[in-house]
Amino acid sequence: MAAQAIPELSTAASEPPVDWDAVAARARGVRRAKAVVLYAFLIAVSLPIILPYFWLVTIAFSARTGVAETAVLWRSMAVVVPAVVAFWLTAALAQSRRQLWIGLTAVAAIAIFAFAVLVGPDLHLGNFIFLWEPDFASVVRSRIGEVKGAVQFPNVWHAFGNSILIAGTQTAIVVTVASLAAYYLSRFQFPGRSSMLRSLLVLHAFPVLTLIVPMFLMLYWIGLLDTLSGVILVLVAFELPFAIFIMKGFFDAVPWDIEMSALTDGASRRQAFVSVVLPQVRNGILAIAVFTFIRGWEEYIFVFTFLIRNSNWTMSLYMYWVRDDVMGVDYGVVSAVGVFYLVPSLILYMAAQRYLMQMSIGGVKG
Amino acid sequence: MAKIEFRNVVKRFGAVEVIPDMNLVIEDGEFVALLGPSGCGKSTSLFMLAGIYLPSGGELLFDGHIVNEVEARDRNVGIVFQSYALYPHMSVRDNILFPLRFKKTPRDEALAKVKTAADLVRVAELLDRRPSELSGGQQQRVALARALVKEPQLLLLDEPLSNLDASLRLSMRTEIKSLHAQLGVTTVLVTHDQIEATTMADRIICMRAGRIEQVGTPDDLYLKPSSLFVAGFIGSPPINLIAGEAEAGTITVNGARFPVEGASGALTVGLRAEHLRIGDTGFAGRIVQIEPMGREILYVVETGMGAVRVLEQGSSAVHSTGEQVKIGFLPENSLVFETARQKLIGGAHVRAPA
Repeated sequence: MAAQAIPELSTAASEPPVDWDAVAARARGVRRAKAVVLYAFLIAVSLPIILPYFWLVTIAFSARTGVAETAVLWRSMAVVVPAVVAFWLTAALAQSRRQLWIGLTAVAAIAIFAFAVLVGPDLHLGNFIFLWEPDFASVVRSRIGEVKGAVQFPNVWHAFGNSILIAGTQTAIVVTVASLAAYYLSRFQFPGRSSMLRSLLVLHAFPVLTLIVPMFLMLYWIGLLDTLSGVILVLVAFELPFAIFIMKGFFDAVPWDIEMSALTDGASRRQAFVSVVLPQVRNGILAIAVFTFIRGWEEYIFVFTFLIRNSNWTMSLYMYWVRDDVMGVDYGVVSAVGVFYLVPSLILYMAAQRYLMQMSIGGVKG
Repeated sequence: MAKIEFRNVVKRFGAVEVIPDMNLVIEDGEFVALLGPSGCGKSTSLFMLAGIYLPSGGELLFDGHIVNEVEARDRNVGIVFQSYALYPHMSVRDNILFPLRFKKTPRDEALAKVKTAADLVRVAELLDRRPSELSGGQQQRVALARALVKEPQLLLLDEPLSNLDASLRLSMRTEIKSLHAQLGVTTVLVTHDQIEATTMADRIICMRAGRIEQVGTPDDLYLKPSSLFVAGFIGSPPINLIAGEAEAGTITVNGARFPVEGASGALTVGLRAEHLRIGDTGFAGRIVQIEPMGREILYVVETGMGAVRVLEQGSSAVHSTGEQVKIGFLPENSLVFETARQKLIGGAHVRAPA
């Protein structure tokens, strides 16, 4: 063995010495190039996503009566697009955390200053007139001398309340029922358990539009047509299967041991569920609560079909009618309603983001 | 404290009969071990004692009262799970406090009890931590404290040491045993590790396929195993088993002839490794492997009857691999089993061939 090793060593020594600096420089160059390509791709993808939201907000706060003022949009874009590119580049090129923060702060400061100079003078709150003037449609139309109120709008806060009521009640029901049902599915054996799990997913596969007519008739016969509770029931029925499925995955991950331990520690089955099992699935409950709430908040098809009186309008219907009534007259008001409609979901998402990231769908185990 | 009794206890899961007929008495204050391979029904028996499983038949008695239908929470039983089963969302203090919540113990008294229990297992300085911030050994202690804080009449330990590393296992063994001596609570330990059972328990219940194979002190099980299964399960290195046919007072196996007393027919001879001696007389073989074990040396000897393990005192090997040796033993150390029924034949012995 030793005799064989020696010639190998000598051949290695006779090769030209490796220039480590050149190798390192080449590797560094390749890494930089890859990063540049990656960031260019990310910028190209994110701009079309960011711009519409940005325009919506800009229009809502800047548009004056009647005219689509594209000049403001172009000027604001001239600020935002370089800002986004600069943000990405700072993130790509920063060598340390400190540099990153300094860079980001500098870019933000320049962007805010440019925005204030170029767009600032055009900003105003006039488009949010609907928040304090229930008959804003007439006001908006009268500005250009049109006839008064074709559609009778309810107070926007009334629609806001209806939306909160629908989304909130739906969320409360779905979370309660899904938790209990998923716990039972996860912990107990009963005939038809696995076929029930399978059918839960199949239920979700149907396009809801196909069921609109039969459900309209059913609600009519039950007497819940044009009531909020009718819509809530329909929404709950559609949201439950998926919520149960997700919650079952969370309950499956809770070990039996701690439940048994709670039982021998003197807890009843219900006490063990509440004080030991439920805290383990808190993230799951938060996740389905947020998704269900947002689903209810943005619901459009069912409320459009099943709610008729304008006192039952939700935010989505309100938005629809505003668009229908003043579109072509005032983009600003439409955008402002859109921003107002958007804010609650945005706040909710940001607050719950940490928990939503942890959600994963467990596999079906029959 | 309680005296526990199983009377013809049966446990079925659907059509599967896990425990066909169990009869057992555990005396007040005793420390017993349920020992057996996995799937032998030892954990099932434990969960029946805890009240998590209900017996499918027979009677389970605590202090002479039938408790078959008494709920787990009313049995006042402390249990330590293999996984420790600490409540991850609670601090150590709340974990230990948990059993007292349901006893409606006044807050001050409950906290004092938590302190006492925590001191007992030396986790007092960890009370404000979360279970995830504890090491395996610390979690184990907290689980013990939680089981003991309610002053249970029965303490159940389900493989409590299997998740600990070797040195920690050794010290926890001593600690659990001294805790038992201190508190005197009736304790049932479930384990598949014979060392745990023999070192900790006063009595061992050796189980196999839902049936009790033998009940006795660690010595009984080691020196007088009632069946081939117990003989094979207990002891490390495992017992040497040699099967043969006895005729006219002699067992013949592959040319080696063992004189036998008190038995005939198809027999299996059991010889513990430390009872064999390498010497001038006995059956012949060739050493194929030497395993130094510290104070002892294990020789693996290839003989006509297969590999035989011989354990010799001393820390350095006297013999070398490949050496031809003779292996002898004292007749009173031999165990003779009936091969068909796998039962020990009391009073029967074999002699080493001259």
